[in-house]
Amino acid sequence: MTSPASSSADPIEPLGAPAEPAGPGEPSRPASPGRPAEPAGGIGPDEGRSALDLRRTPEVRDAYVLGGNRIPFARAGGAYAGVSNQDLLTAALDGLVARFGLQGEMLGEVAGGAVLKLAGDLNLTRESALGTPLDPRTPALDLSKACATGLETVMHVSNRIRLGQIDSAIACGVDSASDSPIEVTPRLRRLLHRLNAARSLPQRLSVLAGARPGDLAPVPPRNSEPRTGLSMGEHQAVTTAQWGISRQAQDELALASHRALAAAYESGFLDDLVTGYRGIGRDTNLRPDSSLEKLASLKPVFGLGSPAVAEPTMTAGNSTPLTDGASAVLLGSRDWAAARGLTPLARVVDARSAAVDFAHGEEGLLMAPAYAVPELLDAHGLALADIDLYEIHEAFAATVLSTLAAWESEDFCRDRLGRTAPLGSIDRSRLNVTGSSLAAGHPFAATGGRIVATLAKLLHQRARETGRSQRGLVSICAAAGQGTVALLEADPA
Amino acid sequence: MVELNRRRTSAAPGPERARMLREVPSFPAIYAAALRPRPGMRRSTELPGTALGVSSVRIDAQRAAAFDHLMGGPATELVHPGVLHVLAFPVSLALMARGDFPFPLLGLVHTANQMLQHRPVRVGELVDVECRTRGLRPHRRGSTFEAVSTISSGGEIIATDVSTYLAKGRRSGTPGGDAASAAAGPGAARPSGTSPAAGPGEEPGERAPFTAPIPTGRWRLGADTGRRYAEVSGDANPIHMSALSARAFGFPRAIAHGMYTASRAFTESRADLTRPLRWDVEFGAPVTLPGTVLVRYEEDREAGSTRGIGWRPATGDRPARRCFTVDVTALR
Repeated sequence: MTSPASSSADPIEPLGAPAEPAGPGEPSRPASPGRPAEPAGGIGPDEGRSALDLRRTPEVRDAYVLGGNRIPFARAGGAYAGVSNQDLLTAALDGLVARFGLQGEMLGEVAGGAVLKLAGDLNLTRESALGTPLDPRTPALDLSKACATGLETVMHVSNRIRLGQIDSAIACGVDSASDSPIEVTPRLRRLLHRLNAARSLPQRLSVLAGARPGDLAPVPPRNSEPRTGLSMGEHQAVTTAQWGISRQAQDELALASHRALAAAYESGFLDDLVTGYRGIGRDTNLRPDSSLEKLASLKPVFGLGSPAVAEPTMTAGNSTPLTDGASAVLLGSRDWAAARGLTPLARVVDARSAAVDFAHGEEGLLMAPAYAVPELLDAHGLALADIDLYEIHEAFAATVLSTLAAWESEDFCRDRLGRTAPLGSIDRSRLNVTGSSLAAGHPFAATGGRIVATLAKLLHQRARETGRSQRGLVSICAAAGQGTVALLEADPA
Repeated sequence: MVELNRRRTSAAPGPERARMLREVPSFPAIYAAALRPRPGMRRSTELPGTALGVSSVRIDAQRAAAFDHLMGGPATELVHPGVLHVLAFPVSLALMARGDFPFPLLGLVHTANQMLQHRPVRVGELVDVECRTRGLRPHRRGSTFEAVSTISSGGEIIATDVSTYLAKGRRSGTPGGDAASAAAGPGAARPSGTSPAAGPGEEPGERAPFTAPIPTGRWRLGADTGRRYAEVSGDANPIHMSALSARAFGFPRAIAHGMYTASRAFTESRADLTRPLRWDVEFGAPVTLPGTVLVRYEEDREAGSTRGIGWRPATGDRPARRCFTVDVTALR
């Protein structure tokens, strides 16, 4: 294990040092490990002061994405019906171990999670890791934050690497909508516990006498937000209408996602990111031959009958389907990678999370990233246009478009973000360039790992091609009004 | 606030004496008593001057937890004010079930409820409950009066719960009917007398057309909603229990307890139970079961209050109908 002291080989180049002013194309460094200083006028932080903070914590070093592996994502009830979360996660980890020669290797940590999780899977990640050729002494932990789970596992292990607590790690996530937990009613559960505690036959009979036929019905996972009773799609339908996102714009985004993912498969880009499983080699939701006409023919499914939605626009084509799948990302310090001959693809620079009060209607359920991204950019003195590649998770096409519309809106940026000017618009040719969840599908906790591994590889390739550092932004919305966003950066050398 | 203070003053023990019960009466006994024919018993034209009280009632932790869970909230150490309401409710019902009470118990309609809670109440606390009725007023559709419950501990008032009831069709208390109604009382602000009669179950305050706002949530209420609230509240009024029992009392379908909807809205308003608060409820159209209610919450951060409204969505050519408005205000 490398100690923090011996990691000084990792170059530390504080942002704001006179010799290295931050500017377009220049590498940007984490300004501060904590929350950013209050942005002056809501625009940017005091970079000089942040740099001093960094110098006071010299033990912080860089954490790098070294590669990734996932299994193809399959629509629920399809190729992976009949296999469990643990099966899927083990498959993704096995592929990663094989690809990077990690057999017998003791890593610093494996962090993973699942959103739809069986109660018995309390150590899902540990049990999955134990099923791989990794050294069984590799510790593991489970994390959970709805659809942001995968990205949060990346942030968790990269923070540990940056602090010198560990040198290497795997961040991973899995979900199976086909094998989602089905529970008993709370009444039956309590009754069974009382029955278990009853000591005599009369006591047991008296407990059983309290049972009702309705108590016996199985309880599948709820598909609505517990606090509002509305499904995610119904929530987004209101946001979509509020931002006036058109049906055509959503269908175009969905089509672009399918085309970009299909092209990524055709070009071989995904060859070292995806390993086949259970007879499938590509994501089964991918429709390379989709067209605007086909997408336009689909009937809206969300926002029907809602007084807030004059014209429903969200269809099965521009919304993500329930999906099964797993992904894993390998991360390490520069030294750890060098010792194993691995190439650092991109540095995990920083992350932010935000949450919104959707329950009392103050903001749309999936709009938290619209708040977290400006905070992250401010912390590094970056403008939205300073980002080379954007990965905005396509929960629904309308989620991406509502977020972009918010950043372009003077009113939103002034009233909600306290900024003097809009955050701005993005070059759409830099958005989800190899497709995203609309095409690949969205096994909740596996999406973060898919995006991080894909983006790191893209940034690394482009940094080499252009000879300039490349910055990438990851933005993931999550249930319960939450969102996590992260910044990655790749250097040319 | 002026209005509330006035009510609190008049709710203080007046010249009438409280008759003490040994324990909180049971609902079935009250309803059975209310249904029992009483040949020769004459209904009074005035509200009874006596109060009914019960000393040292324990706020049961399990029952409070069941109440919290039914409202979709966590089981808290500080009790939901709805628990205080259901604690006192049977006592006030016993007062209203008396044979000489001016109105039959089973025709009363709960039109509004106001609770003022002066301090947080912990589960397991022992409290004293005292109930009285007051404020008989003519109304364009009958008469209204208030049932006032005081929850206290060691002589200190913890909470005052004022429930307003409408007794349809019987204009009592003040001679002169409409003229007096136009001059004073809650009916004064409303159009009275000549407007078209509302249909069965329709309540006052529904005259202006209701325009449904954008909902922030939806309740899907099963046919067992009334039975589940009856379990935690004890209020097994047949109009809430099933379509069959409701039909026996002239309702085509079972209707949800008003205080179930109000208590759930209280929980969803995310009130701070550590602070004194007021909880104002106005009921509109009944919530039929099974059924869907759309809700919307709006916060007024400066006032420290949250307003929740619930309505029946429009279906076919039937317009949306407001079912309740709930205001929860933190007091300083």
